Amino acid sequence: MVSSLVLFLLNTFIAYVAASSDYYERLLIRPLPQSSVLTSFNFRSNESADAFEHQNFRYFPRSLGQILQHAGTKELHLRFALGRWDAESWGQRPWNGAREGGTGVELWAWVEAQSEEEAFARWLTLTNALSGLFCASLNFIDATKTIRPVMTFQPEGYHANSSNLHLLHGTLPHEVVCTENLTPFLKLLPCKGKAGISSLLNGHKLFDASWQTMSIDVRPMCGPGGGDCTLEMEQTVDMVLDIDRSKRPRDNPIPRPLPIEEIECDTSKGYNGGDTCYPLDKSEEPAWNLTEIFGQPLKGACPLTEQSGEGSMTVCINTPPERILQVNTTGQYEEAKLASDTVRCYKLPTGADFDLVLPQQRMTTGLVLTGPQLFAARSINGHGQERGSVQAVIKNPSSHSVEFVYLESLPWFMKPYLHTLRARVDNSLENPVKETYYRPAVDRKRGTHLELRMIIPPASTLTLTYDFDKAILRYTEYPPDANRGFDVAPAVIRLINPGSSDNKGIYLRTTSLLLPLPTPDFSMPYNVIILTSTVMALGFGNIFNLLVRRFVGIDEVQAGGAGGLQGVLRGKIDSLKALFGRG
Amino acid sequence: MALISTLLALRKDARLLKIPPYLSALCIIVGVVWLLVLPLQEYSRNTYVSENALLPGQVHTYFTGSEHNIFRAYRHEVASLGDRTTQERNQRLGDILRSSNLKVATQKYSYATSGRNISDENVYAILQGPRADATEAIVLIAAWRNMDNEINHSGVALVLTLARYFKRWSLWSKDIIILISGDSTSGPQAWVDAYHNSHNPETIESLSIKSGALQGAIAIDYPAGPWGHRYDKLHIVYDGVNGQLANLDLFNTAVSVASGQMGIGCTLQRMWKHDDSYKERLQTMLRGMISQGVGHASGPHSSFIPYHVDAITLQTVGDGWHDEMSLGRTVESLFRSLNNLLEHLHQSFFFYLLLHANRFVSIGTYLPSAMLIAVNFSITSIALWVASGRAGKIPNPASTVPPATPGEKSTSSITTKTPMTVAKKDGMIALIPTALLQTNERALFLPLAFVLATHFLGLLPLYIFNNTHSSYLDLTFTIVALLSTLLPHLTAFSLKRFSRPTEQETILIQCFSLLLLGMFLAALATLNFSLSVLIGIATSPLTFIRSTKNKPVSGALSLLLAVLNPMVIIRGATFYFGQDIMSVLVKAAEGWHVWGLWTQVVVWLVWWPAWFAGSVVVSGGLFA
Amino acid sequence: MASEPQKALLFAAAAAVRLLLFTAFPSLPSLLAGRVEVSTPVTSFKRLQEGLFLYTRNVSPYDGGVYHQAPLLLPLFSLLPNPSYSPFATNVFYTMVDLLSAYALMQIANSGQATVTRLFTSSRKELRWSSVAIAAGFLFNPFTVATCIARSTSALTNLFILTAMAKASQGATITFVLSMAMASYLAMHPVLLFPPLLILCYDVQSTKMKASPHTFRFIATHSRRLIIALGALLYLSKLLTGSWDFLGATYGVRLLLPDLTPNVGLWWYFFTEMFDSFREFFLGVFWLHVASYMPGLTIRLRKQPLFVATTLTGIFAIFTPYPSIADAALYLSLVPVFRHLFPLMRYTFLASSSILYTSFLGPAFYHLWIYAGSGNANFFYAITLVWSLGLSVIVGDSLYAALRDELDVERPELRGKEVKRI
Repeated sequence: MVSSLVLFLLNTFIAYVAASSDYYERLLIRPLPQSSVLTSFNFRSNESADAFEHQNFRYFPRSLGQILQHAGTKELHLRFALGRWDAESWGQRPWNGAREGGTGVELWAWVEAQSEEEAFARWLTLTNALSGLFCASLNFIDATKTIRPVMTFQPEGYHANSSNLHLLHGTLPHEVVCTENLTPFLKLLPCKGKAGISSLLNGHKLFDASWQTMSIDVRPMCGPGGGDCTLEMEQTVDMVLDIDRSKRPRDNPIPRPLPIEEIECDTSKGYNGGDTCYPLDKSEEPAWNLTEIFGQPLKGACPLTEQSGEGSMTVCINTPPERILQVNTTGQYEEAKLASDTVRCYKLPTGADFDLVLPQQRMTTGLVLTGPQLFAARSINGHGQERGSVQAVIKNPSSHSVEFVYLESLPWFMKPYLHTLRARVDNSLENPVKETYYRPAVDRKRGTHLELRMIIPPASTLTLTYDFDKAILRYTEYPPDANRGFDVAPAVIRLINPGSSDNKGIYLRTTSLLLPLPTPDFSMPYNVIILTSTVMALGFGNIFNLLVRRFVGIDEVQAGGAGGLQGVLRGKIDSLKALFGRG
Repeated sequence: MALISTLLALRKDARLLKIPPYLSALCIIVGVVWLLVLPLQEYSRNTYVSENALLPGQVHTYFTGSEHNIFRAYRHEVASLGDRTTQERNQRLGDILRSSNLKVATQKYSYATSGRNISDENVYAILQGPRADATEAIVLIAAWRNMDNEINHSGVALVLTLARYFKRWSLWSKDIIILISGDSTSGPQAWVDAYHNSHNPETIESLSIKSGALQGAIAIDYPAGPWGHRYDKLHIVYDGVNGQLANLDLFNTAVSVASGQMGIGCTLQRMWKHDDSYKERLQTMLRGMISQGVGHASGPHSSFIPYHVDAITLQTVGDGWHDEMSLGRTVESLFRSLNNLLEHLHQSFFFYLLLHANRFVSIGTYLPSAMLIAVNFSITSIALWVASGRAGKIPNPASTVPPATPGEKSTSSITTKTPMTVAKKDGMIALIPTALLQTNERALFLPLAFVLATHFLGLLPLYIFNNTHSSYLDLTFTIVALLSTLLPHLTAFSLKRFSRPTEQETILIQCFSLLLLGMFLAALATLNFSLSVLIGIATSPLTFIRSTKNKPVSGALSLLLAVLNPMVIIRGATFYFGQDIMSVLVKAAEGWHVWGLWTQVVVWLVWWPAWFAGSVVVSGGLFA
Repeated sequence: MASEPQKALLFAAAAAVRLLLFTAFPSLPSLLAGRVEVSTPVTSFKRLQEGLFLYTRNVSPYDGGVYHQAPLLLPLFSLLPNPSYSPFATNVFYTMVDLLSAYALMQIANSGQATVTRLFTSSRKELRWSSVAIAAGFLFNPFTVATCIARSTSALTNLFILTAMAKASQGATITFVLSMAMASYLAMHPVLLFPPLLILCYDVQSTKMKASPHTFRFIATHSRRLIIALGALLYLSKLLTGSWDFLGATYGVRLLLPDLTPNVGLWWYFFTEMFDSFREFFLGVFWLHVASYMPGLTIRLRKQPLFVATTLTGIFAIFTPYPSIADAALYLSLVPVFRHLFPLMRYTFLASSSILYTSFLGPAFYHLWIYAGSGNANFFYAITLVWSLGLSVIVGDSLYAALRDELDVERPELRGKEVKRI
């Protein structure tokens, strides 16, 4: 408990520090259970508002700055995420989830514009420019993937001096985040991954993590009274590395079975023997060091960071005090202990590699992790490609009731029925839904946007369900892997608790869903056109044939050639009958 | 139009009415022969994997070495759980799974069918794939007790070992769900129902943790005791409830991995020895058809298939030199293949008949046989319809050709007997029996009502058999069999007595009942080909019976029909296959309540009514 | 014609059957409402509920892709208690709708316009079924029952179409025009029924008041009345929803087919597979095709307007964008009114057995495609083709019979002889 509380303070402290200095970076390492370790990188660079206006960029990347100015974007939040945060065993999310996004890419921004249309036009400019900058398919965020949330997102920055801002939000759940997104991300940093903690960031390890998220946040910050405004850009990379997995050398990544002598057997078992071994799970903290798990060394400090004080302590590790730490470097470094020694920070040497070594060790005290305030899981019920129902289960383990906003942004071809929306709390009868915002989808124009403000009582589970239909698309609207299904963006949950000091808010995201749609046969448009037309022609021909001709007795028309084809056929049939006649 | 009108003219020709019986017979014969021809090499194809993503057997497998020691240890653990209670057992299994960092949960379930109560508990664990985002999952199943109700020692142990082994890999792009179900049929059913939320929460516990859409499931059945047993072949079970089959690609992948990569022979449909001969292939096909036709759950995988989750069971059979690790490597390679899948399995066939581990017949080739058999009923019913339109008997009538042909004599000879209509045609005269020109009206009410009533009557035995206590089932069967043998005669008698159906009405009864039969069988042929064929063949005599005034003939016919009584046939079949009718009925009831088995519905609402209507028509002749 | 007790018994039985089904199988309505064969995007009850939900919460139901039905249904159904909690009122309502339709059908049958019109008297006019039998055919038609249980709004459309026909065949002009307007307002395409029914109305009036009214004036007045009625309905809807958006969301959807949910018709798969550049063109062609039948039939069968109307309902059941078995039910229950044509029909057995086959194979194939995943869309598509073919055979055959019947009157000497068309 203590440690994480301290960590929380630490975060806020960082925020305070950030306001003063121009460039600031920090790596926070925190070992987690099940031999995994959370490493969260945090970079901040500021630019004074007028310098930014005059296109005078120092730490703020020009490429991004100009895009923002061109698109009239006042505040920007961009997220790349991969994998799942295992809340049961890893506890609370880093930055309370405020710096992470749903699987894939998520983008929301406050755009300054006179009208909705102008705002949307600028939004498109922004997404297209960013997709170029980050090598991501952000340009696919079109009207059908864009919503305008009303309750879920609050501006983090200071916007008193800018009027009619429009919040737009878009997601790409199917986007696969990978190294091509990391490289431009590093390019934005002043030290470009050459020095400082960013020199640890290596695509192979980063995208082999169990969970990882990259975020970019740009927001205007002003002092009290709106004076001396600065534009602050914050970049974070959070990832959970599996130590065993990351320690494997890159040339031999295959987890071959260990030689039997390396496995710790349970000798108390009766059957234990040379060929039989009941494996014991490791009780010791594994040995690891930075260079090993990141695959490359930490190349000294970034010269742009402060030389002294809090801001210079750029590597922190949050472990119980008894955990043995060895620093392995040739250069000068300083160590500082914070928060009753559960957090140890280091000032990196300049120009010399720096490494932290943690030997294998049997621990007596563990690190206390606070559990998250809510657990959320979402799944699709029912089977078949015609309809289904979404079920979201939200657990509140805490002893106080929690108020939160639940945001769904669904694609248009998933047609929810709001009248089937049911929210039940297992131990109370009152309806937890306090407020609803609903904007139904329009085919091929916009997606569904649903926001619910709900209160969940202490120690209870809230189940939210609603039915939906699956639309069948035109065959040109299906992707090449039509039978995989379509991804549905994760639901965003924002906790509303008055107690929170910082204006970032506490967020939580469910996993994305896979929505299989009915598929036509892609191979036969021609056949379909031909067959349908044939049936229509048959009906039409038959009826109009009757309408336009007149009847006469069969004995009034000349047989033979007179009737043309009819005559011929008639003749044929007659001879046929003649044949029968004989038999 | 001209063509149609001339065809109409033909339709009025009485000789056409003689053709249908032969036509139907032809259909039936061709249909059956067609079936027998299929096993020839010329008509079957070699299996092939059509989903490119699968790449079966392309990866090297590493499940060896120290894993073997661990496997042995786990097998001892499992063996020691044999006599424990379900709770203790699942607690222990859960602990083992937890120790390899998986999310574990349990599910209680209980079903009540024919007075018995099936209740047990599933334990399952989810391995969250590092590359996965919880949208897709594949399932690895080991039932605690297999179909023969022996404890699946090595199977469960292998699954535990594999779970621990898989956890180390970082390449899983789908979640892997480890399911250890209480038994082989109800357990998986309860689990998969709950997974899709189509369960009844009172009797079946909902799942506390879930993952994404299921992409495939592999079940392992390896009931070797704590000291192991080396097996000879893998028996791959692929048919699901109601005769729905797993995608052929999955089966092919399993075969090519097992035999191609691991060198383990594969067999199917309990054909332990299969020298690729015509006889063996035919036998395999017929066995496959029978088990498909019965539509029962043939393994833990069966319950998954109705949810469009392709699944198979790998059974170890015989004594040989393959050990558990080779089975483990097979599963590993199989999972690597499934892990490659980009789309849900959809490329390959869902309708097929397997003749051998690597020969199959696709729907296009075999469907005609079922359709022909179904069509013969339709043909007869059309013929009967036309016949019912006739005003009594017409002597061989003249054709409409002008009397220049030798037809003339007959024409003139008839002229004396039957009322003739003179048709002038380009100066020549044709004489046509008037009766041919007017089709007389049909009285449809009684036949329709009767046939519909018959079909609804089928609901009664359906209900009875699914809701009788198991101890009375045997008795019930005998009683119902007796009743259903007597009922037609009673009905026929009372019909004669009270409503006196005209000859036309009797014909129409048969017409409609055959029409419905043909229709149902045609529809069924697309859902469950084998069942359609089996019933089609069993009911084929109904095509040829007619109601006659001739007492001995109708007596003989009704005797024949008494033998063709569905219940008699079922009894005979169970006797032939050495099954106990009692257990069959119990299984059927269980299928109805647990797996949603439809076979009884077909028997009681399609087969039985058709037979009933037929025998009423026949025994009508007895009371003429 | 029909004795009162018979009628009462029939209606009681029909109502009993429906209410029994509603109460005995509470899950049946929602099941049927989910069947694509029964309820289409423009008639589905579930979508109606969604529209109601939004309407009662002052969200415009037309600012979304779900609700495509007429605005006036909203206040009507908002009067009834919420069907998801207390469905009884709704069930009774739909039962009543069916009974009223049956009553209208009986009026049509009793009017005898099927056999004897002003200009034409069938030579087989003695050959007819009692109106009770015909009504029974409608009420116990499984398609009608399914539609009623599924609570699809096409039941209402059918009611108004039948009422329009009934009133026309009685010469009650005002009610005829009103119900005509209502039907067209609900489903748009019934407006094509106006000309034939107007002729029918004209004939009946002139036979009633021995002198025929001035033709042109008659047409003008009634067309004007229809336009006024329609305009009033639309304006009322505008007042109700506060904007003209509903036009695009209701009639626009019927015209342009943005929602490709499968149904028994020919349009959905065609436009699923259609190349984008040709979509508009073929939409135009298809609508032209549907509309083209009306003038042709009306002119050729000037003497039997009621038959023209009936045939048109058949055409609707085949060639409109969102047909369902409800439309087929309407047509199939109107055909028995022309009992006297049956002897002249040639493919009755063929067509009816194809309808029978498809109505069983359809659900089976749909299951294979959507749930089992073992078949693909072509399975269900093929069945819809056969279904449409079967219906069009019946339509064509009955048309042949009607023409042949006329011929027998014109030239009695040809009766019962082979004829051919030149």
